[in-house]
Amino acid sequence: MLYDLGDKQWNIPALRELLEDIIPKNSQFYNYEVKHTFLDLGEKIMSLNASRVIQNTHREQLILLVIADITEVRNLIVEKELKEKELLNKEISERNSEKLLLEKAVQERTRELKEANESLENKNNELLAINKELESFTYVSSHDLQEPLRKLQIFAGIILEKENHNLSEKGKSYFHLMQQSAERMQQLIHDLLAFSRIRDAERKFEKTDLNIIIEEVKIELKEAIAEKKALIEVKDICEVNIIPFQFRQLMHNLVVNALKFSKPQTPAHIIISSRNSMSEKLKVKGLLPKKEYCHITVSDNGIGFEKEFREKIFELFQKLHGKEEYAGTGIGLAIVKKIVDNHNGIITATSVVNKGTSFNIYIPAST
Amino acid sequence: MKNEPFLILIADDDEADRMVFAEAFSELKIKTVVRTVNDGMQLMKWLSEREPPLPHFLFLDLNMPRKNGLECLKEIREDEKLKDIFVAIYSTSDSEDDIEETFLSGANVYITKPSNFNVLKQLLHKVVSATFIYEGNTFNRKNFLMRV
Repeated sequence: MLYDLGDKQWNIPALRELLEDIIPKNSQFYNYEVKHTFLDLGEKIMSLNASRVIQNTHREQLILLVIADITEVRNLIVEKELKEKELLNKEISERNSEKLLLEKAVQERTRELKEANESLENKNNELLAINKELESFTYVSSHDLQEPLRKLQIFAGIILEKENHNLSEKGKSYFHLMQQSAERMQQLIHDLLAFSRIRDAERKFEKTDLNIIIEEVKIELKEAIAEKKALIEVKDICEVNIIPFQFRQLMHNLVVNALKFSKPQTPAHIIISSRNSMSEKLKVKGLLPKKEYCHITVSDNGIGFEKEFREKIFELFQKLHGKEEYAGTGIGLAIVKKIVDNHNGIITATSVVNKGTSFNIYIPAST
Repeated sequence: MKNEPFLILIADDDEADRMVFAEAFSELKIKTVVRTVNDGMQLMKWLSEREPPLPHFLFLDLNMPRKNGLECLKEIREDEKLKDIFVAIYSTSDSEDDIEETFLSGANVYITKPSNFNVLKQLLHKVVSATFIYEGNTFNRKNFLMRV
């Protein structure tokens, strides 16, 4: 018997089971692996293929058994698998170290963000402090800076009145000049304060009838309007969403401007109108798309200005005329611009010399 | 009373202002006696030591060292002996906050220091005449800030 071969080394339980149990049932099998340790050969892996054969002549049942030594193949496969496993492990450990690096980077970034936040907070506090400083500067300007000026004016006035007879004509004119300068300085401080008071923080939007604002401005400027024989025409006014006290200042400044730069021999004619339009229709640079805007126009028939100055006029302290020609500090339109900015709007100016000027204001419509 | 001069007290740390103020009153046709103190501390001391009659008008500067005008105003209004003194705020400030706060603290009228001597005279005349001569002593929030 097979099992007795080579000192019964072939008496392998798996082989026995195969030959005695499986063959009778299935008549054949393939690639059945059996591992066995032989005394002289050591551990071998064998692949067994067997089938039942019936010899034609003798009707004798035989089993054809093919035993192939696949130890080496198997070992190669195992070796390959080991290598692959090793590679995999290596990759895992590489991935792990990458992950660690990444985590470290995230931590680093988090720390940086935290620092950035802290520095932002510091900057914020700094800004708050600067704002506070500015406020106290404003306060100082409104009190302490005006104080000496007021003295200059009051004493120059007293001297001109009470010591008039003691002064030569030249002396008097010097005193007048002194008074005028002090007055101008006072006006500058006053306008600068008005400019600095137009703060973003004081945004309190209210739906307002522009007519009311215009009426108030007309009352404030009653004398100047009468003096210039000005006609202020108000057309098609729509409701607007504005910061009322700022907008009153805006209207005030625009009307003052129109009155100041009116033609000497022609009564001033100022037309104020407003209407709502979609930004696509208005075709103005800087407006947000698909948004409704209130377009307010303030036009006059005054002396106008050259096209090249249409942006410069909104800058602080910019004047197109000498102060002997037209009084002013060059702050009025800068205030207007700042107020329009506060309303998230845009202001433009078009002008023709000796024909007049139009200011176009576009602010988001009241909805 | 009509023949008695009005006793006017001014509290102001600015010497030139005190001088101009006294000068303006001296040129008015109203008979007045002007007394001056240089700050809030002096003012409160002067008032506490004062035998009647108390001043008819106190002109109170706001921005003063040691004790400012607003503090003085509050103390005066809380003092049984002093609370009825007519107090006119006399300040360079035209800030809404100062005007509001002094009104709420019980000042009678608010005038901002003008830069013209004649305007000052008119203002002082108006304060005194509106209060005593015409007896129109009805200052309210609307006419609290006096202008000419």
